[in-house]
Amino acid sequence: MTNEHETFLTTQVGSWPRSKLMLKTLRGYQKGAISRREFNTVAEEEIRRTVALQEEAGLDILVDGEHRRESFYAFITDKVAGTQLMSLAEMLDFVEDKAEFEEMLRTMDMPASAVKNPTCTGKLTRREPLALDDYHFLRSLTRKPVKITLPGPYLLTRSMWVGALTRKAYRNHQKMADDIVRILRDELIDLRDAGCDFVQFDEPVLTEVVMSEECDRRTFM
Amino acid sequence: MGVEGIRIGVHICRGNWSKQEDVLLSGDYARLLPALKPMRISQFVLEYATPRAGDIEVVGRALSNRELGLGVVNPRTDEVEPVEFIIAKAEKALEFYRPEQLFLNTDCGFGCFAGRSVNVEEVAFRKLGAIVAAARILRRRHG
Repeated sequence: MTNEHETFLTTQVGSWPRSKLMLKTLRGYQKGAISRREFNTVAEEEIRRTVALQEEAGLDILVDGEHRRESFYAFITDKVAGTQLMSLAEMLDFVEDKAEFEEMLRTMDMPASAVKNPTCTGKLTRREPLALDDYHFLRSLTRKPVKITLPGPYLLTRSMWVGALTRKAYRNHQKMADDIVRILRDELIDLRDAGCDFVQFDEPVLTEVVMSEECDRRTFM
Repeated sequence: MGVEGIRIGVHICRGNWSKQEDVLLSGDYARLLPALKPMRISQFVLEYATPRAGDIEVVGRALSNRELGLGVVNPRTDEVEPVEFIIAKAEKALEFYRPEQLFLNTDCGFGCFAGRSVNVEEVAFRKLGAIVAAARILRRRHG
């Protein structure tokens, strides 16, 4: 644990650049061409290197670099039942105004191929912990305090809702959000009980809601 | 209802998907304050290396009863921020926060989307080194 008298503690927000090997292994795993065991072997090596680099740099609170994750929020499709990882190209079929959506991606400099969405397609329940295993592995690599990152409830509620697919399971955003909050809260408590020092919820979408010109417009998040 | 017994942070930024700064969002945290104030958390982890995030005063005046994870390096640029730049950001924040409330971190991750890392490992590593070097000097000056 960090000491309350320590000052200017240093850390990073979470993700680390993926190596070519990590990216290739992730894509192979997603296609079913690579086993979970092989995937984990590669990811664990990347995490070891990332932790060693942080130790070498002298950081006080370490992260695992999110190497296993498709993105900081889409990875929950690996962990939560009632979800489906969808490319934006697949999502386009369900978006009302396709031309506008494509134009939005262009002006935001976000190629559709680079981002995948965790779409809600059924009742959401934790199939397995979201990050507890990540915590245990990270904990085994360092004696320093560690931080685990999780997507925040606003971000998930906004990104997971794709009306044409989600309405089969939930009447509205609020009903779906109740389950998202329950899942995140259970995970937070599990992490605390396992001895995790620090959990960070990522909510980049809050700025989008208040700062983008059209707050009702759906973007890729 | 909050959860006790663990440090809980909330990270907010203005997008981290492109190295073109002009396609990312702009604005200070003022309009977010009504949402942030009631949060039962220990720390806000906020972008401040980019001028798009506005002035520290907005958050310093309203949220200094919590810790601040102060963003001091931009994860999307190739140049490493000078240690003096990081120290200046932190010393400005000291007008509102005690040294033990102040954490120093990157503005966001270096690879939020697996297929779209915004930097390379060598630069990311050097940026972490700059944060650590600044923290050492700050501890000597401010305890």
